[in-house]
Amino acid sequence: METLKNHPKDELLAAYAAGSLPLSQALCISVHLEHCTECTQNLHQLHQLGSELMLSLQPAKPSPKLKDKLFDQIDQILINAATTEKVTLPTNEANHSLPRCLHQFIKTGYEDISWKRLSSDIYSYELCRDQNNAKVELLRIKPGGTSGTHTHMGDEYTVILEGSFSDESGFYQQGDFLVKNSLDKHTPVATIDKDCICLAVTEAPIQLTGFFGRMLNPLIRRSYA
Amino acid sequence: MTRIATHSDKAAFSTLFDHYAPLIRAYSLAREPGANLVADELAQEVLIRVWLKAGSYNAQLSNINTWIFTLARNCRIDYFRRNGRYISDIDPTEIFNNIEDDDPGPFQQVHQDRLAKNIKSGLSKLPREQAEILTKVYLEGKSHQQTSTELKLPLGTVKSRVRLALRKLQVLILR
Ligand SMILES: [Zn+2]
Repeated sequence: METLKNHPKDELLAAYAAGSLPLSQALCISVHLEHCTECTQNLHQLHQLGSELMLSLQPAKPSPKLKDKLFDQIDQILINAATTEKVTLPTNEANHSLPRCLHQFIKTGYEDISWKRLSSDIYSYELCRDQNNAKVELLRIKPGGTSGTHTHMGDEYTVILEGSFSDESGFYQQGDFLVKNSLDKHTPVATIDKDCICLAVTEAPIQLTGFFGRMLNPLIRRSYA
Repeated sequence: MTRIATHSDKAAFSTLFDHYAPLIRAYSLAREPGANLVADELAQEVLIRVWLKAGSYNAQLSNINTWIFTLARNCRIDYFRRNGRYISDIDPTEIFNNIEDDDPGPFQQVHQDRLAKNIKSGLSKLPREQAEILTKVYLEGKSHQQTSTELKLPLGTVKSRVRLALRKLQVLILR
């Protein structure tokens, strides 16, 4: 494992540990964690903080019936375990190189995806939508390709799955995590030796209000869709 | 022989229930005040997982409080998603479950105990406004955005208070 330079901010990792982060963002962090021992260790310590906070709560006693119910369920489990044989499901080894949290969307590999061409350099594949309609997609930039200079209408969270790219502020490799907000303007260029594949989460654009805002909204929607 | 083992396991499990069920219920009630049935369900689900996974639990790697916290967090996310209170196409199982089973790396019991002690004493000294934010994020399960709306604070203030609290508690390895 190489040492990465681009990590999620402390408060983002804490929200992940607390389970209060939108799942789309949690997906990106989960990929980063598979590549980052430092954040993994920090995560364990953030879990410890969570457990101390839970212990600080005023305990809320259950009714006595709950324990009976639980033990009934355990008895049932013990009976089932005694009467049924263990069946081990075959695991799909073909997708072992993909991050585990992406298996729910991609069954085999990046090659078999029906990529949608956005330009001569860029292809995309939408995985799903999260709450508030945040878009979760894979982006693929051809070797040496660029997405052109652009800004983002909402925050954009990116983690690199394969390959690498650079922009005005640095060089990013597999596992690197970055957030760009609507004020950041950047020009990513993929490294020439291979395709760069990223997982990107784009928050839905904020609707602008007021006369000029209403005029701009259709333009914003077009760049987001 | 299996029977005896099972009986003693059950006695130990009963003690564990008495300690943790009220805490897991409190954790659930922090998110949904007054929802006692939901709290019962969450406690039951977490403790069944504890029973089922007791064999794979490695005391060397994480202390039991932390393990139960992560189980409770995962079950709570699952529960809210199953019940349509969190609309998303994303299945959280694979995002979080890999972590509770994984080897957490170079982690020592001594180090954990020391950290737990530091956190405990740190929490009691934390400025009220920082403690309030940790409660929102960790116990009530609120996003930064929701916290900012509820407390009528700018989003940036919410984030910086989390950062300040973490620094004060010395939870993170500095880089
Ligand atoms: Zn990291």
